[in-house]
Amino acid sequence: METNTARKINAGIEEEAEVSIKISNLNVFFGVNHILKDLSLDFQKNKVNCIIGPSGSGKSTLLRSINRINDGTEKLKVTGAVHFNEKDILNGVTNLTQLRKDIGMVFQSPCVFPKSILENVIFGIQQHKKLTVSEKQDITEETLKAVSLWPEVMDRLKDSGQSLSIGQQQRLCIARTLATAPKVLLMDEPTSSLDPVTTRVIENLMERLKKRYTIVLVTHNIAQAKRISDQVFFMCNGQLIESGTNDMFFNTPKKEQTKSYLKDETCVCR
Amino acid sequence: MSRALKNNVYNTLIWTAAVLSIAILVFLIATLIWKGMGAISVGFLTSASENFGSEGGILYQIIGSLALTLCAAVCSFPIALGVAIYKSEYVKSKVFQNITDTIIYSLNGIPSIIFGIFGLIFFVNILQTGVSWFVGGIILAMMILPTIILASHQAIRSIPNSYRENAQALGLTQWQVIRAVIFPRGINGAFTGLLLGLARAIGETAPIMFIATAFSGVTVPRTFLEPVSSLPTHILALAQQATNPQALQNAWGSSLVLVSLVFIFSISALVRRIQYSKINY
Repeated sequence: METNTARKINAGIEEEAEVSIKISNLNVFFGVNHILKDLSLDFQKNKVNCIIGPSGSGKSTLLRSINRINDGTEKLKVTGAVHFNEKDILNGVTNLTQLRKDIGMVFQSPCVFPKSILENVIFGIQQHKKLTVSEKQDITEETLKAVSLWPEVMDRLKDSGQSLSIGQQQRLCIARTLATAPKVLLMDEPTSSLDPVTTRVIENLMERLKKRYTIVLVTHNIAQAKRISDQVFFMCNGQLIESGTNDMFFNTPKKEQTKSYLKDETCVCR
Repeated sequence: MSRALKNNVYNTLIWTAAVLSIAILVFLIATLIWKGMGAISVGFLTSASENFGSEGGILYQIIGSLALTLCAAVCSFPIALGVAIYKSEYVKSKVFQNITDTIIYSLNGIPSIIFGIFGLIFFVNILQTGVSWFVGGIILAMMILPTIILASHQAIRSIPNSYRENAQALGLTQWQVIRAVIFPRGINGAFTGLLLGLARAIGETAPIMFIATAFSGVTVPRTFLEPVSSLPTHILALAQQATNPQALQNAWGSSLVLVSLVFIFSISALVRRIQYSKINY
């Protein structure tokens, strides 16, 4: 189907990739400020879709529009369409609980609740359904294994989640998101507060997770985008300037703004 | 004036103020212990008062005071917590926030005798409840409501927004966020506020003397609509018999018991505050 697939040219080989989220003519206004300007783009399934751009370019706003976490913000107005599972999730009848279970989100700084490691992992899922003790154990083990945290915490699941290092806390937050069985993972600069070694751990994790989930990653870090992205979207001043596969985007950028940004991280589109 | 001299002057003023405040408190407590310890005995705490309080103990006054404060706690706690959650989670308008803040602070500033008069007119006269501990508890609840609301609202406001967002991003509804994230934190603050409020309520005389208490002849109330005797009103009655040394001695003893109860509530609130400040939000 035309709407469910996108042409992808990678290293000269044309192949079809399934679209997970299709954004059409998305505009976001905050009062009189026009934050996102007529964005249209497709995020591909089981890929790391990386959004890069300078501060204030609207990357996080775009991400937060996808799971509608900005709903309820005063003076915020959103127009356009965001298609997920062949439904426009911006319409009024969308079940936000189901949407956010399907499209999980990991934030910039890890936010571990003042509870045990186990309770943190099952925090979201147990609000949606009643779990038996063994189900709680199984979900905790499975998700902590998925984020490679299990060997480090398996013998101290009752310890406070806040006793973990920042890197471990971020992986715990990812595990907590995975526990709700999402299809898409939105990651808003998940490594910005981490040291380089821990950043690599999270990046390796994303490489593994993309086999099961569609990942939409917002990052400031061009080197990181180059390392792990499959698709890159460059945003500046609320507009999509250029997008393409990793290889195309970093090796043969077409737009001057992109070249300038990749060269010295300056944005000349204002 | 040089900066060093200014620092010294301010330091001296601050220390003087602190030492003076503590000295007054220590002097009061020392006097109470000195004068009141003579009256304290197991018999004094476990027997009924006789001869208008100048003889016997204060068992029913303790029970009455505890019944009033317990009733005030039960009535005020859920309302205050609900108001605090509503204010922080549902009220978006700054104007409405300011209006509710003004109302709450105004309620806190109303002299306690006004609450007593209101209770007398509304409950005793209009609703014909008669003098009862239940009405006294409701009036005390109204009086301590602002303290609990402000303490719980402050606790809820101190929860970083990232906790709400993270919970919402996991698919929790607003009510689930309130139940799982806001409520546990708010209830801690509300509990601290409650203990502080009760420390104030248990020592109040004016709001309850017309509507909830009798000075003598009462025991344990068997219905909601019976009067009780309370420690503050008992002390007031004994103080009016100051020419009788035995009555005066009992007044000091009752005061010591009352202040001890206030201290128990205040220190419990302090311990509670320290405990929940250790929760790393």
